[in-house]
Amino acid sequence: MSAGRAGPRMDAESKASGSTKYVADIELPEMVYAAVTRSGYPHARIQSINTSAADEMPGVIGTFRASDLAVRPYGRAVRDIPALAESKVRYVGEPVVAVVASSRLEAERAAELVEIEYGMLPSATTPEDAVASGAPLVHEAASDYVGAVITPQQGGNLQSVVTVGSRAEVDAALASSAYVVDHVYQTQAVHHGYLEPHACIASWHNARLHIWLASKAPHPLKAQISASLNLDPSEVVIEPITLGGDFGGKGSPMEAPLCAELSRLTGRPVKMVLRYTDDLIATESRHPSRIRVRMGADADGQLTAVAYDVLLDGGAYGGYKPSPHVAIHSVTEPGCYLIPVFFAECRTAYTHTVPKGHMRAPGGPQMVFATESAFDELALEAGIDPIEMRRRNILKTGDVDAQAAARDPLELGPRQWQEYRSIETLDAAVAAMRDHTHEVPEGWLFGRGIAAYGRGTFSYGTTTIRLAPLPGERLRVEVPYVETGTGSHNMVRELVARALDYSPDEVEVVQVTTDDLSFDAGAGGSRITSVASYAVDAAVKAWRGRLGDEAVQVTIDETAAPPVGSFIVQVAEVAVDPATGQLKVLELISAVDVANVVNEKAHQMQIDGGVVMGYGFACLEDLDEADGQVWAANLGEYKLPTARDVPSLRTVLVPGGRGHGTANVKAIAESLTPPVAAAIANAVADATGRRLRRLPITSEAIFAALAGPVS
Amino acid sequence: MELRFTLNDEARSVQIAPDAMLLDVVRSLGLTGAKEGCGVGICGLCTLVVDDLPVSSCIYLAALAEGRSVWTVEGLVARDPSLLVAFVEQEGLQCGICTPGQVVAAYTLKREFPNASENEVREYMAGNLCRCTGYASITSSVLVYLENR
Repeated sequence: MSAGRAGPRMDAESKASGSTKYVADIELPEMVYAAVTRSGYPHARIQSINTSAADEMPGVIGTFRASDLAVRPYGRAVRDIPALAESKVRYVGEPVVAVVASSRLEAERAAELVEIEYGMLPSATTPEDAVASGAPLVHEAASDYVGAVITPQQGGNLQSVVTVGSRAEVDAALASSAYVVDHVYQTQAVHHGYLEPHACIASWHNARLHIWLASKAPHPLKAQISASLNLDPSEVVIEPITLGGDFGGKGSPMEAPLCAELSRLTGRPVKMVLRYTDDLIATESRHPSRIRVRMGADADGQLTAVAYDVLLDGGAYGGYKPSPHVAIHSVTEPGCYLIPVFFAECRTAYTHTVPKGHMRAPGGPQMVFATESAFDELALEAGIDPIEMRRRNILKTGDVDAQAAARDPLELGPRQWQEYRSIETLDAAVAAMRDHTHEVPEGWLFGRGIAAYGRGTFSYGTTTIRLAPLPGERLRVEVPYVETGTGSHNMVRELVARALDYSPDEVEVVQVTTDDLSFDAGAGGSRITSVASYAVDAAVKAWRGRLGDEAVQVTIDETAAPPVGSFIVQVAEVAVDPATGQLKVLELISAVDVANVVNEKAHQMQIDGGVVMGYGFACLEDLDEADGQVWAANLGEYKLPTARDVPSLRTVLVPGGRGHGTANVKAIAESLTPPVAAAIANAVADATGRRLRRLPITSEAIFAALAGPVS
Repeated sequence: MELRFTLNDEARSVQIAPDAMLLDVVRSLGLTGAKEGCGVGICGLCTLVVDDLPVSSCIYLAALAEGRSVWTVEGLVARDPSLLVAFVEQEGLQCGICTPGQVVAAYTLKREFPNASENEVREYMAGNLCRCTGYASITSSVLVYLENR
């Protein structure tokens, strides 16, 4: 299949002209508005609540506390999130009291007048503190929550523990290795940075609950809400919406259980739109990490063993992520080398901080930063060029990745990829790096760094789509997928149009309600491209085989399809002013192993956006958590990359890979973000001789490193 | 209080609270192209044109618009169709939440700096954040719009 005629994106005109409606733009008759009073303390007992001043404010319809609600704790996997804090608060920003009023501003102003008396409790605001003996407990009995994976014996403040391999074996292998490095790498809390604040509308209508939520996963949301409100799932309808950015931050039930209950109690549709500060301090962020890496090589630079001891900050609640095992990703993400002896222990701790969740390639940016930094440090130790050392160790087609099964404690499916196009991709990156030079300011230091990442494309879970004829030889495709911005609807349109020989203009793709199609897991794990392409294959076959002019509906599950992998090799080119530490990332080169690309522009934007998100993680972004509080609490303090900040980006596609389905596709959404930070850290080390093992790599951090000893 | 102003070339008179922000007033009139993002004048989602200059309407007091000419994305794409053509052809968008603000900023850029270079475009557009695209497609949309003069 060729790239075909792309044509403009189906949603481009309505988005650019401002006519696309997002949840915040929707108004219903009789609608009322909710706001919440949030905790100002990381850990405190709620002693008394006085709402009398708030109740008297103009427009206020009611004030509600936890005891007024019939809502069970909810969450995506672990159900540990209360709609409003009950006896105590567990992070700064936690909702305690809800106010419903006839306008948003009235609700917000009244919420400020709620008086809450707290009794301070000792807090554990770092994962190190939280796992220390005698630490104050975030949850008295975390193992009791529905969906918990922790046992009472493991107990304490742990959300999850994953152990793979044998510590004794890895210790022995490292002890007999010619070269060994042993370092700790640390990453900060960063936010998804979607620009649409969280928004929800809940409305009871004809004895059914209708939800409009900025959420990427309608069917799981329906299950979570019905469990939380003790409803039969058939009583809940998730309405189609357009999402203003996700990146993993729009997957939890968020304020939907609260709004649903407020709607039941007030008898009115309830709308709640967060202010962006609320998104920063009180939704979820990427797990901060502390990762000890021990890595050994023999005299020829062949890896002998790799050991990880990972401690992740899980925040106050685990329910924001689809699996409590973010640690799993920490084990599976760095898997692009042939590693004879592997060990990992990954612990995720509850802390008295804003909850942590999954964000674009969960666990990947943390682990790849640690792994690819350590790999360069090991190459330096062994006196081998880092590119050459990668060439010797990277997985190649024909290699048996003995660790693949071991690194899959959840048994997600076969992990051995069909092919490893590592050398082609590495060669492409190196060729792109060598074909140009940069002008560097007088007296500045120049450096280059490289980092590699192997990413599987999976096709997990069932999905259903429906093809229906429209008058005038047109075709309607109904999908369960939310258009999060990636262009997934447009991709479905192009696949269907090509397969059935329609012009894209003759095909419309619409998301329908959860009533209309059966379960789909939603956007996540870069699954939509692969599952949708399999679904289109099946739907096209059914369409061709139908007898009359009826609609066809297909449900597929290709979870068992052999995973295909992609290699990403990135090169960072940097200049550093040795006098001030100022860092300029001159260029980021990404070599990307691809199969067929359905839409070149959409694919390229996923690449560029992923690289820029990696750059923000590497150099700019930090929620600045301290003492249990997010201090970078607005987008002036929290530095998202602007058009002016981004380095020159260059992409080299390495075509010819084997992908999923007839369309022969690989995922791209999560592939580019993980390696950026290590490539930059390695380039800074190349330029300055100083190794930065903690993100973000700011000019200030480089200045301090230059002033200190070489380490 | 009463606010009299011109909105997308149409004379309007509306009752507003003295502390109302222009963004909320415009949205309450059904023009929801401008969005609230950061709420502190950083992200650019709420960009509107007031007397030919771009403003962050989330922190612009509506009362200050008295007697002024305000344009929203809805009005601008009708006034200058080449704006829409550039963003659609170049696909300068993904999720679309920042796009109306980008389009409005592109409009004022063309009036202020019709010969802007790519670097100048990036400098000018730095007040309009985008988390999806990495900016290359937005920058090329703006450059194409500038060329269609």
